[in-house]
Amino acid sequence: MIQVIVNGLSVGAFYALVALGYSMVYGIIKLLNFAHGDIYMLGAYVGFVVLGALTSWLSLPTALGLVLVTLVTMALTGGAGVLLERVAYRPIRHAPRLSLLITAVGLSFALEYGVRQIFGPQPSHFPVQIDAGSVHLFGATITIARIVVILVAAGLMVVLALFVAKTRQGRAMRAIALDAKAARLMGIDVDRTISLVFFIGSALAGAAGVLAGAVYGTIDFLMGFIIGIKAFTAAVIGGIGNLYGAMLGGVALGLLESFGVAWLGGQWRDVFSFLCLILFLTFRPTGILGGRVQERM
Amino acid sequence: MTNNYLTHRLVLIAVGLSTLALTACSGGVGGDQPDAVDDGPIRIGMLAPLTGSESVYGAYLRNGAQMAVDEINQQGGLLGRTVELVVEDDGCDAQMATAGATKLVSAGVQLAVGGYCSGSTLPTEQIFYDNGIPQVITAANGSQLIEAGLDSVFLVNGLATQQAQSAVKFAQKQAAQAIFTVDDGDAYPKGLTDAFAEYATGVGLNIVAHEQINKAEKDFGAVATDIVGRGADLVFCTAYVQPCALLNQQARQYGFAGDFLIGDGAVDAQFADLTGAAYVDRVYGTFTQTPDMLVGADSWLAEYQAKFKAEPGPYTTQAYDGVRVMAEGVRLAGSTDRAAVAQAIHGLNGFELFSGPATFTDQGVLADSSFVIVVLKEGKFVLYDDLKS
Repeated sequence: MIQVIVNGLSVGAFYALVALGYSMVYGIIKLLNFAHGDIYMLGAYVGFVVLGALTSWLSLPTALGLVLVTLVTMALTGGAGVLLERVAYRPIRHAPRLSLLITAVGLSFALEYGVRQIFGPQPSHFPVQIDAGSVHLFGATITIARIVVILVAAGLMVVLALFVAKTRQGRAMRAIALDAKAARLMGIDVDRTISLVFFIGSALAGAAGVLAGAVYGTIDFLMGFIIGIKAFTAAVIGGIGNLYGAMLGGVALGLLESFGVAWLGGQWRDVFSFLCLILFLTFRPTGILGGRVQERM
Repeated sequence: MTNNYLTHRLVLIAVGLSTLALTACSGGVGGDQPDAVDDGPIRIGMLAPLTGSESVYGAYLRNGAQMAVDEINQQGGLLGRTVELVVEDDGCDAQMATAGATKLVSAGVQLAVGGYCSGSTLPTEQIFYDNGIPQVITAANGSQLIEAGLDSVFLVNGLATQQAQSAVKFAQKQAAQAIFTVDDGDAYPKGLTDAFAEYATGVGLNIVAHEQINKAEKDFGAVATDIVGRGADLVFCTAYVQPCALLNQQARQYGFAGDFLIGDGAVDAQFADLTGAAYVDRVYGTFTQTPDMLVGADSWLAEYQAKFKAEPGPYTTQAYDGVRVMAEGVRLAGSTDRAAVAQAIHGLNGFELFSGPATFTDQGVLADSSFVIVVLKEGKFVLYDDLKS
């Protein structure tokens, strides 16, 4: 039982980190950024390159090196997110919603096959792997790597929640989510704030990408697709546009999948979790937190 | 999910393209038909996954086929004509493969060699057959491929059922008490675990559970937990290399200490890297022989490396052999006519291939498949047991 829960939590932590970016972007400009999963993949590859460069210049202890790589990767993928928004989304922000959606799908393709062009189709081996063994708790085997994932994800989410709740920039985001026009009239720099949202969302996905590389040891150019779909699902379960909803939805989806496998077997996992999604949308279409919390973000 | 992934996106693209296609059609209908002149090059069409999750194998197939084509041209061509290889992407996806096959037909290919994923190769058989093109399938080996009973379709890789028998022999030799099978739900891996289950139960082996994993994912913690929980001492994973490598890693992290047997789709030099250095013990595979296991293939290997600046991989030799089988059929038939070539290939007796002398059964599969057991040793798969005794 505990084993099933820990498995679910660690997968859910990835979903939650990626779902946050989906949800934040949707909350502020009503865009389903389907390229977001590929930002996660980009994060893994940026981490791969940075880690390679770093280990050849300096010799750091593995743990410190990984923290440094994660921070650098977050900055770089955050920058990539801002660039994508500036180049691809901003010029058509006021175009029909469908144009944005198609652009997002196109961007997703461009990122996937761009990375494939550079690094090749074969999976790459991540040079550093968190493999510190495992602990035994209440009859369950829990690898250190899974604990690290859960802790890092939780830490990042706390920082994000504080940022959005307490800072001026966070307040600006919430204001734009409520009413972009009014926010602009109040003197908020809307473009800059949207860029910031893309930066934060992409940085979180980048961190998840590096974590995935460090935990599983392999990265490939299509790794962002499935997680993108799952994170989108998590965001919807939680109530898309809502920050806490994305976190809750990610963890909920991870647990649903984990219990689905334990009860019904691997071939039923996706059937089970998506059936839950459908039931959920039928009876509570706004998601877990979507209805209660009026204010998005 | 990979197929779904492509399907979802292809639908989107198709909507856009159909508009373009409508305008383009007016010019295309009744336009150029490929000339069937007898003095141009003989064109061999190849379908291989150049994009998508299996795209790493596409290059292996293409290069292997190109080796054979170059060799034939150096020796003066075929029926006095040069041979040309035309490659189309099938993305390991049935819809893309169908489109690719149609494109090859309209490009005027006379022969078809290729196919990696069984699921995407299956729908191409009828297309080639209907257009009078004989087909040699290089890597795909799902049992479904011969069910249509087309007399001009040949498989140079052993059938899934033949491979399953080798796997069962191995399990018996290892005296496995509790076997756990895993596939990814695709046509070929599923066919292999099904056939394995049938033979294994037939000889009294105990299969404790069967699980399906999603090949596009990386976390198989739930299945790994199940493997350990059921006390399995042999896992048979028939998915492709990355999911099997990750499953082996995660199962061993959870305390699995038995034999991890993989199907031929996962036997790849990358396995050791992907699974991690701490987990390479007791990893076995069912496989047909590769160039580095063969005696006397050194010059072939050297030529390959010089030409492509890369190492050959799984199915490179099958692609090479596939082209040679087809060429031999054409040479004996004296034409590229479907029925004549098919008859000639059916008549081959002991034609020398990498995997041994080839004779095809009435169904178009190798009468004597040479699946062996390989073992992961110092980062490479080497011969462990040829199962002859």
